[in-house]
Amino acid sequence: MATAVVLSPLLREPASDTYPLSTYPMFASDRGADHRIATAVERLPAGTVDRLSPDLIAGTDEVILAAVTVQRSIARSEADELCAEIAARLGAGRAVEVRVETVDVVALIADDADPTAIHVEATCVG
Amino acid sequence: MLADPRLADPMVIDRRLTVLRVLVAAYAAVWSAVRAPALLDALDFADRRFDPVGPLAWLNSPLPDGLFVLAVVVTPVAALAMAIGWRLRLTAPVAAASFMFVTTYRNSWGQLFHTENLVALHLVVLAIALSVRGRDRRWAIDAMAVLTVGTYLVAGIAKLRISGTAWLDGDVLRHQIAFDNARKELLGDVSSPFAGWLLRQGWLLGPAAVMSMVVELLAPLALLRARFAVAWSTLALGFHIAILVFMAILFPYHLLGIALAPLLPVERLGATVAPWLRRFRLGSTTSLRTG
Repeated sequence: MATAVVLSPLLREPASDTYPLSTYPMFASDRGADHRIATAVERLPAGTVDRLSPDLIAGTDEVILAAVTVQRSIARSEADELCAEIAARLGAGRAVEVRVETVDVVALIADDADPTAIHVEATCVG
Repeated sequence: MLADPRLADPMVIDRRLTVLRVLVAAYAAVWSAVRAPALLDALDFADRRFDPVGPLAWLNSPLPDGLFVLAVVVTPVAALAMAIGWRLRLTAPVAAASFMFVTTYRNSWGQLFHTENLVALHLVVLAIALSVRGRDRRWAIDAMAVLTVGTYLVAGIAKLRISGTAWLDGDVLRHQIAFDNARKELLGDVSSPFAGWLLRQGWLLGPAAVMSMVVELLAPLALLRARFAVAWSTLALGFHIAILVFMAILFPYHLLGIALAPLLPVERLGATVAPWLRRFRLGSTTSLRTG
């Protein structure tokens, strides 16, 4: 019985994940090195940016949930709403930018390379 | 199922199951208490983010806040009661159901986590074993062991189904480690300080990928001999330590060894701390039988 239960995810497509009977697809596919990662930053008056925490971005300490939240908001054309939510968490007068950064993740982690492109999806001030 | 000659002795079965109950339920109690604030974050999530999964997939909208808050409060209390052996026929099913509920609800906001699956499944097995009448509970240890090795096997097969043998050359692993750490950096989380070093040692990633696949695909061997179980559990622990060091991903249930405990002679742990356990009615078979 337990064998049938735990192996039942094998009957589904690997990408068809659920809980608690997972197909465990999270590390299975080749993601490649080039990625467009959605995030949100605080735009400082000097023109530089500060990274925001998952808690400020999505009200959670889970980075993956924060990442998915930004990604889905952009995909659903809700970047402005998300930007406003983040600005409200950040405080009055603070400028927020929801954006997609194009990065070579291997170069970023191994050699501290900068993003090759940044596309701003929404800006707002709290 | 679990080829461990020690389990021919009913006393060993009772003791191992008691230790497993204490370990799993205590873990669930601590985890749900520590994570309660993060779990309650869901109350502030916008409804548009709700994406129910698993046992809650039938929901169309988020549940009333009060119901979820109640479950978040009940879970550590019931799990603690289960751990100390209080009214097991009541507290074990409540702990299992509430843990399953709160973790499923937590997973219903757009991202599936993979750290609590085995805890939830082990709690269900224990709850059934502690709720039904009858003295032979060997099946529960077998079921928990099968669930443990089965999750690793499914994860290994997923890699083969999605990437084939290409997963073994190390490139997939390189990209996974880099992506996971990069996402953490861009979203203001803590990334691994060792990931950059590993990525610069390209020759290490192929053997690391092969070793990961060996741990996952050979997991069922742990069911065949007690010695295999110890050897595989050691490898699995090393696997999770490597994930923590190079990806800053914590699988606490596995790293503490609790996920692997059904495969191991943890009844010896019970004997070691028997005087303490007896104070909480944990060491005897009576606690299992009377609930």
